[in-house]
Amino acid sequence: MEKVLSVNNVVKSFHQPEDFQVLKGVDFEVEKGEFVSIVGKSGSGKSTLLYILSTMDTDYDGSITINGNNVTGVKQNKLAAFRNEHIGFVFQFHFLLPEFSVIDNVMLPALKWGKKPIDVLRERARELLRMLDVTGQEEKKASLLSGGQQQRVAIARALINDPTIIMGDEPTGNLDSKNTKNVFRIFRELSREQGQTIITVTHDNDFASNCDRVIELKDGQIVNQ
Amino acid sequence: MNTNNKIAWTHLTSKIQQLVVAVLSVTFGISMYIFMNGFVGGINTAFDDITFSTMAHIRVYNDLPNDEPSLIPHTTNDTIQFIHNARHIKYTEGIKNAQKIIQIAKGFTQVTAVTEQINQNVFFRNGITKVSGNLSGIDVENEDKVFGISKYMLKGHIYDLEKRNDGIVLGSGLAQSICVNVGDNVTLTTADGTHKSFKVLGIFESGASATDKSKAMISIRSARQLFSKNASYASDIQINVRDYNKVEKVSTKMAKMIPYKVESWKEGNSQLESSSMLRNILAMVISISILTVAGFGIYNIMNMTVNEKMREIAILKAMGFNGKDIVHIFLMQSLCIGIIGGAVGMGLGSLIIYIVRQIPYKIASFTSLPVAFRLIDYIMAFFFGLIVTIIAGYLPARKASRIDPVEILRG
Repeated sequence: MEKVLSVNNVVKSFHQPEDFQVLKGVDFEVEKGEFVSIVGKSGSGKSTLLYILSTMDTDYDGSITINGNNVTGVKQNKLAAFRNEHIGFVFQFHFLLPEFSVIDNVMLPALKWGKKPIDVLRERARELLRMLDVTGQEEKKASLLSGGQQQRVAIARALINDPTIIMGDEPTGNLDSKNTKNVFRIFRELSREQGQTIITVTHDNDFASNCDRVIELKDGQIVNQ
Repeated sequence: MNTNNKIAWTHLTSKIQQLVVAVLSVTFGISMYIFMNGFVGGINTAFDDITFSTMAHIRVYNDLPNDEPSLIPHTTNDTIQFIHNARHIKYTEGIKNAQKIIQIAKGFTQVTAVTEQINQNVFFRNGITKVSGNLSGIDVENEDKVFGISKYMLKGHIYDLEKRNDGIVLGSGLAQSICVNVGDNVTLTTADGTHKSFKVLGIFESGASATDKSKAMISIRSARQLFSKNASYASDIQINVRDYNKVEKVSTKMAKMIPYKVESWKEGNSQLESSSMLRNILAMVISISILTVAGFGIYNIMNMTVNEKMREIAILKAMGFNGKDIVHIFLMQSLCIGIIGGAVGMGLGSLIIYIVRQIPYKIASFTSLPVAFRLIDYIMAFFFGLIVTIIAGYLPARKASRIDPVEILRG
């Protein structure tokens, strides 16, 4: 199988309020189309690890390769373009742009990439929203939707550029069980059928147990994978 | 529409109240800039008009030689010379052949108007009232071109001087002090003791009260007759140039070609130049301070916007927008504010100028406050306004571009 992500000896320390090593040498690899969950107690460093993997946090030691590209030590602006193309990120809280319409929110990463004509994008965004069961709200302002709906819009946004890796920081954290199942099913399909890699941080044992692989972190180290 | 512009536009239009406040601060700055500069410009023009109603840009006259006449040639060192009370004894008064000088002056492309004058001190008499003053023999048509005297006529027409040899036009103060009005007679007595009676055809008021109290004008032909001079005699030749600020260029060139004293208005009138300069500097300082304050207004609002949108900026960055995109988004917003504010400010500035121009102000030759409409003020105001907005918008935008998404999103 093709390796999509390899993490080599990643060490991360916080210096505020006092020196503290969050990640103490993390090593693992993820293959294309794998659906991985990262679990662990709070404070185990799983969110920190995810932000490092997402290339947003660049302040760490060790090295990370995504899709054959070394992303360690690359300039922020280049990383931004890389994220745009290769990584879809779903935050713990929806984090939509409240002043934009739902469909604009979904389309923004694709508009930034600028690879496809706007009509195609609009159709694709509608399709994704349909898939996530948010229909008939496309032209509404994002801030008018319920929390669960907004979270699903945020997931649609993460999928719009067909990224190599989809990362989620507790993506189903504030969804009801029906929608959690739906999202899980979508992730499952994406990884099986499209070969997209999914990495999620989760507290939900049910969610984790149905993944291809569970990586368990404890005190900044992988204890089980 | 470009994605960044679309985001900028959405930000702008989602908070109309904030947009209005920001636009108003630019509007205020720009309109005040235009008004202040127009006002000072108008005042300067008015002052120049008054100044140049009695003074031409260049005056040519026959000056006494400054050096002492040497009566005895210097001999060797062991001789002592005593000369008491040395004086010029050979001096031809005035300009004998004025036409020739006028031709030379007209040869310069920068020269706009030339006129000849005979100026003498005389006594004006009406009954027992006797006042000394200056009599100007003028070439009416050219005089009007140089000084615009027809504008200052209170009563009568200056061109009537052409029609009557015994006509005279008096300054308003002078007419009052010898108690005459249009149609009355006044007797002149020259330094040589010649008397002649003139009929008052008109009264003028230039706004410079010293002039109005002492000056009178007759036609140059009558003046030549009165002072028994030849047909091409003049005491002064007055020349106007296109740009009075660059008068020295012409006057120095002219001085080489004319055998008389050529004097530009700047010689001996530097106070006029410096006061107009100071007014301009003052207007500049005031209007730039206003623009700076307006700039702070924009800075404040943009800064607030950036702080409010901290999380959105982090999200945009997480989605792949880079620092340049973020600067673009926020700079575009302030640019819009600057352009809208600038356009409205130019309108408001024009309105203020229009209103202030209606305020009556009846002193000297003014009827209302002088404010100039000048294109250059509008261009400069817009230009400065835009620069201030760009700076005031760029600083918060740069701050926004440096936001670390991880810090914001992790909370």
